[in-house]
Amino acid sequence: MSAPDRRPTGQDPGRSGSPRRPDDVAQHVDDMLRPERPMEVFRWVVTAVVLGLLAWGLSADIRWNRLVGAIPEFLNIMWLMFKDPDWSALPGLLDAMWESIAIAWLGTVLATIVAIPLSFLAAENLVPKPVSVLTRQVFNVLRAIPELILAVAFIPVFGLNARTGVMAIAVGSVGTLGKLCYEIIEGLDTGPIEASDAVGASGIQRLRWGVLPQVMPELASFAMYRFEVNIRASAVLGVVGAGGIGTLLSQYISFKVWDRAGLALVVVILATIVVDAISGRIRRRIVAGPGGTLHMTTIDPEALDAAQALAPEEQPGAPA
Amino acid sequence: MSDVTTSGSSSPDTSRRSGERPDKPAPSVFALSMAVGVVVFTVVTVVATDFSLAGIIEDLSRPNSSFQGLLNLDWSQVTNPRALAAFVETVQMAVVGTIIGGFAALPLALWASRVGAPNAAVMWTAKTFNNIVRAIPDVLWALLFVAMVGIGVLPGILALIFFSIAVTSKLTSDVLDGIDMGPVEAARAAGSSHTQMLRTSIVPQILPSYVSFLLYNFELNLRASAVLGLVGAGGIGQLIDFYRGARAWPQVWGIIVLFLIVTIVVEQISVMLRRRLV
Repeated sequence: MSAPDRRPTGQDPGRSGSPRRPDDVAQHVDDMLRPERPMEVFRWVVTAVVLGLLAWGLSADIRWNRLVGAIPEFLNIMWLMFKDPDWSALPGLLDAMWESIAIAWLGTVLATIVAIPLSFLAAENLVPKPVSVLTRQVFNVLRAIPELILAVAFIPVFGLNARTGVMAIAVGSVGTLGKLCYEIIEGLDTGPIEASDAVGASGIQRLRWGVLPQVMPELASFAMYRFEVNIRASAVLGVVGAGGIGTLLSQYISFKVWDRAGLALVVVILATIVVDAISGRIRRRIVAGPGGTLHMTTIDPEALDAAQALAPEEQPGAPA
Repeated sequence: MSDVTTSGSSSPDTSRRSGERPDKPAPSVFALSMAVGVVVFTVVTVVATDFSLAGIIEDLSRPNSSFQGLLNLDWSQVTNPRALAAFVETVQMAVVGTIIGGFAALPLALWASRVGAPNAAVMWTAKTFNNIVRAIPDVLWALLFVAMVGIGVLPGILALIFFSIAVTSKLTSDVLDGIDMGPVEAARAAGSSHTQMLRTSIVPQILPSYVSFLLYNFELNLRASAVLGLVGAGGIGQLIDFYRGARAWPQVWGIIVLFLIVTIVVEQISVMLRRRLV
């Protein structure tokens, strides 16, 4: 990813004219030894555009004066949060966090179950072009809607409970998982499938020995990663009443019950980090195989997400 | 690889007695335990969330205001001046959050990497800071800042700044792990200071990826800024919350459609820019 910078350099060999004083000689030698400064025009254009965008953005009705009081207020809140946490709230918080984790897991499982068959309809090597284009658009739309918005829309359907959360997470994840699935399918190596056919494998045997070994590692590790992302989403779904720890979080913070809010924050952060660590170990084992060593960062959630988003559309099936 | 696996089809392996099968691979203990674990955990979570497919089907078969609103979608929202103003606000929030947060992320990513940190203490501090910032979701930042500075655009921007720091610093530090050490050694050999080394040997190497991460982060921020309004942090989410409170579902879905159009347009622009950059 990190291509070396190749900025255009000028061809001007340096200052001309004969030097007279020793200082000038030193200067002249220095000028000849130093590489030319890179071209500045592009840099100025970019700076101007960024500053222009920033100025336009800052023209919103921000009321910065409130920021002055925010820093002492922030320190004050931190103090109130952590000087004497209300430990009696801990069991309830752990319970709610567990519900968030359960919502994220079940949502991910449902999304995977739905995404696999749907992705067959998006693979260009299986269905006619119009069908695949249409299915991909469905995936794109689902990918673009935030889970919290889905939860808002689902509350009148499924009620103010964890079920709404599960459905919001599931529908929100179908897009990303489906995209990965059709990319895997399009990149499938036909060799093992032909080999299974050649040795007279039945349909199920062909699937088991020709297709599954190619698909499973990538799909399983991506679904696990999606579970990690979904925990972050499901932790806040409760803000709109869709189950999990978000309900308690938003209540404690809005009503300024800081001695409990601090504890809730710590529970969310620790639970996220712990689940990430466990899930990360499993994913590493899936991708690298037994005793395999793979650099941890190559399979980190954000990195995978970005790899999927940043991968050029022309190269489907490129492993993250 | 494929020619090895297909070679048996045309020329049978003569070194093996005919009819002898190759040994079946032993079932993987890891795969089996994973499969059992997934099933068990799924059952446990089904109980924990009180989830049932029958219940879902029953809920879906009942008429409800939300889906009826989707069927009578209010297209006039696309030209509603109030909605458009809220969208301008959302984009402004995303722009400011990306620029300030994204720029703050560069030194943080550098300090959190082994090659870029001036000393171990700075590295440890930057790493811990990045990890904590990363574990807090965007909406939670917004909740906290709304409690601190009141509702409006300001808490939204602050939340997006921290969210951008989390995303961009993480992605950038991944790239930092794989840079070419040659220029770093060259800069040190030429007697540059630490800052000069960062500026001349590391930043140019990561710049193209860093810029594409910023653009990607802008897309994420745009998506995030749409929900921050649900907790009072400005932008289009506030309008969604307003219509939701009024149970005006056709309007809610109209706004969601408008939101989709904006994000898809921005994504296309961003993809175009990235293709030119990288």
